[in-house]
Amino acid sequence: MSHRTPTLTVGLVGAGGMARAHAPAWRALGADLVVHSHDGAADVAAAHGGRAAATLDDLLDAVDVVDVVTPTPTHLAVAGAALAAGRHVLCEKPLTRTGADGATLLAAARAADRQLYPGHVVRYFPEYARMRDAVRAGAVGTPAVLRFARGGAFPTWSAWFADEARSGGVVLDLMLHDLDLARWVAGEVTSVHATRRSLDADGAPRTLAHVVLTHAGGALSHVRGLWGAPHTSFRTSFHVAGNAGTLRFDSAESGGVRTDLAPVPTGGEDRPAPAAGERESPYLTEIREVARAFVAAPTALAPDHPLHPRASAVDGVVAVEIAEAALGSIASGEPVALDTAARVRDLGGVPEAAPHRLATTGSPA
Amino acid sequence: MSSTDTPGAPRRVAVLSFAHVHAASYLELLRDRPDVELLTADPDAATAPPGELRGRDFADRHGAAYVDTYAEALAWGPDAVVVCAENARHRDVVLAAAAAGAHVLCEKPLATRVEDAEAMVAACDEAGVVLMTAYPVRFSPEFATLRRLHESGALGTVLGATGTNNGKVPAGRAWFTDPELSGGGALADHVVHVADLLDVLLAEEAVAVRAVTNRVLHGDDPRVRAETGGLVSITYAGGAEVTVDCSWSVPDDAPTWGGLTLQVYGTEGVVDVDPFGAHVGGLGAGGRPAWLGLGENLDCLMLDHFLECVDTGRTPGPDGRAGLRTLRVVAAAQASARAGGAVVRLT
Repeated sequence: MSHRTPTLTVGLVGAGGMARAHAPAWRALGADLVVHSHDGAADVAAAHGGRAAATLDDLLDAVDVVDVVTPTPTHLAVAGAALAAGRHVLCEKPLTRTGADGATLLAAARAADRQLYPGHVVRYFPEYARMRDAVRAGAVGTPAVLRFARGGAFPTWSAWFADEARSGGVVLDLMLHDLDLARWVAGEVTSVHATRRSLDADGAPRTLAHVVLTHAGGALSHVRGLWGAPHTSFRTSFHVAGNAGTLRFDSAESGGVRTDLAPVPTGGEDRPAPAAGERESPYLTEIREVARAFVAAPTALAPDHPLHPRASAVDGVVAVEIAEAALGSIASGEPVALDTAARVRDLGGVPEAAPHRLATTGSPA
Repeated sequence: MSSTDTPGAPRRVAVLSFAHVHAASYLELLRDRPDVELLTADPDAATAPPGELRGRDFADRHGAAYVDTYAEALAWGPDAVVVCAENARHRDVVLAAAAAGAHVLCEKPLATRVEDAEAMVAACDEAGVVLMTAYPVRFSPEFATLRRLHESGALGTVLGATGTNNGKVPAGRAWFTDPELSGGGALADHVVHVADLLDVLLAEEAVAVRAVTNRVLHGDDPRVRAETGGLVSITYAGGAEVTVDCSWSVPDDAPTWGGLTLQVYGTEGVVDVDPFGAHVGGLGAGGRPAWLGLGENLDCLMLDHFLECVDTGRTPGPDGRAGLRTLRVVAAAQASARAGGAVVRLT
C-alpha cells in the first residue's frame, strides 16, 4: 500500500550525509525538494532532482514542511525558525544538543501548534521494530536484562563530531539510538550509570562508553557504544532476556550474502555493489510514517492519534536527557537518578508501559 | 609421606565433596589417568536434599574409591586435593588440606567472603602448597588466542570490554541458589569467570565496581532466593572500562547451559571470543533446536595444569591470589547492589 504525498514540498536544511539519506526517501514518496545549506545545497539538490534555496527564509517561504539534517548544535535554531514559520518539522537525532534546548523546542512546537518529530530512525530498522513488537506481545515474558551495542569507525567525515561541545560525543551522537530503544522496549528509566574511556591514536580519538539503565519495572539495560579505529566495521547488536525467553540480533551475523573472492588486483574494477533488494531503507519507512502524519493535519497531532509517528518530540527530548544524565555520570563517576515517567508527563507525553505490565502468562507452567 | 617423594609413583589426589556439579567431571578425568590414584570423600552428603546423588552412591556411580570423612582422605597422604564443597565451606576444607600438606585446586568462587579467601591464601602459603582456583575458561584456546593478539599489540591499548556469562538457573544442586551456602545469586556465580579473564588480560586491579541486580528471571521460583539478573561495571587501575552481564538468563529448556563471551575493544580494533560457541546446530525431534558443543574439555586442560604445578611447584595460572582478587570484585559488586547501585571504590 503506497501512500504518496505528491503535493508535499519539503525543505531539506543541511547537505551532509544525513541529507543524502533522507533526500531519496522524500523523492520516493513523490515530494518536491528544496535544499538549503551553508555548503553543498546545489549538489544535493542536483543529485536528487530538487532545487537549492539561497537562505533559510527563502526555503521556509517555499515549502510545506521542513526536514532538519544539520549538525546537532544548530537544530534548535533551524527547527525553531521552521516552527515559528508554521512548518511541521522532522529533526534529525539528537533532537537538540541539550535537554533544556529540547524542552525549548518542544514548547515552540506547542506554541506554533505544529508537528515536531525526532529522526529516531533505528526504531524503523526492522530488527528493532520486530523485536519491540514481539516483546510487547509477550515473546520473552517480562524483560529482565537487555544489552544493546552499536559501533564503528570514529566519524571523520565532518569535524564537528570530534568536538564534544557540539556533538555530545559518542554518548549523545551514537548511543542515543540505543538509549531511546532501551526505553521504548523496557520502559521508563529511574537511574543511569555510565563510564567512558577515550584515547587518541594517530590523531583521532577512539572512544568506548558503557551506559547501564535501571528501568521503572526493574529491568536493566546495558548500552555500549564504540567509535573505533578507522577500519572498524559498523556493527549493531542486541540481546533481550526475559523470564520467558530471549531475543537476539547481531548485524555481523545477519547478512544474506557472504563472499570469499580474490582481492581486486591493482587497477582492477571494483566488485559490484550489493543489490538494493526488496527491503526498503529504514529512512524511507521513517519518512513515510512522518509524511503521513504531516499531511493528516495542518496542526499538531495528539499523542494517541493513529497516524502519530512512533517517536514523538517528547521521546526526542527524553532521549537527550538520558544521554545528558549518562554524560553527567561519566563526569561525576556516580550514578544519576532520573524519573523519565514524571518527565514525560511534565512534557505532556504518555509514559511507556512498565515491563511488568507487558508480561503475559504464556511462560511454561 | 606423599607419593611424589617416590619417583614414578602415581600422584595421590583426593576429591573432597561432591557438592559442586563439576565433581562428576573431575572424578571421571582423574579416575582415567594412569598417573593418578584417586580417593574421594563427601561427608556433607547428608545435608543435601533427598534426590541429589551424593556420597558413596555418587562415588560408586563414577567408579571412584570413597571414604566417609575428610580426615580419612587426608590421612591417606594425598599429594593434592580438589575441593568441590559448597562455596561457604571451601575455607574449612582448604585449611584442613593445607595443614595436611596437600596442594589444592579449589572450585570457584574461592570463598563467599573476602576474609575467608585471605585465610586460605595465607594457609597455603604457610604450608608451602599450591593453591589454584578452578577457572577453566582461562584454558580455552579462544582465550589463549585473545591473549596472544593482545600481547602482539594487534588490539592496541585496551579501552575496555563487555563480558557475558549467562546460564540457566543452577539446577540439580539446591545449594547453588541458597545464598548461605553459595554466597549469593548470579553475581557470586557468574562474575568471577569474566573477572578472571580480565585479571590476566589487563594485569591490573579493579579500582571501582558498580552493580545493579533484579529478580525478574525465575522471580516466581521458590528455589531462588537471590538475584538472577545483574549488570556489573568495573573500572581497572589503568582506565579500562568493563561491563559484565552475569544473568541467569538462559531459559530452562534451551539446548545448552549457556556460555561466556568476551568482547575486547582496543585502540586498534575489536576481538570477540566465544569459548562455548562452537557447536553443531540444527533441529532435533519435535523441532527443538539442537546444540552439539565442540569446545575443548576445559576441565581436562585445567587438571593437566594443576597436576603439572603439583609436580613442579610452579605457581598455577589462576592461583589463590587470582581467586582472591576476583572475589574482591564480586564482594564489591554485592556491596554496590545492596547500596542501590552506589559505586564501590577499592583501594
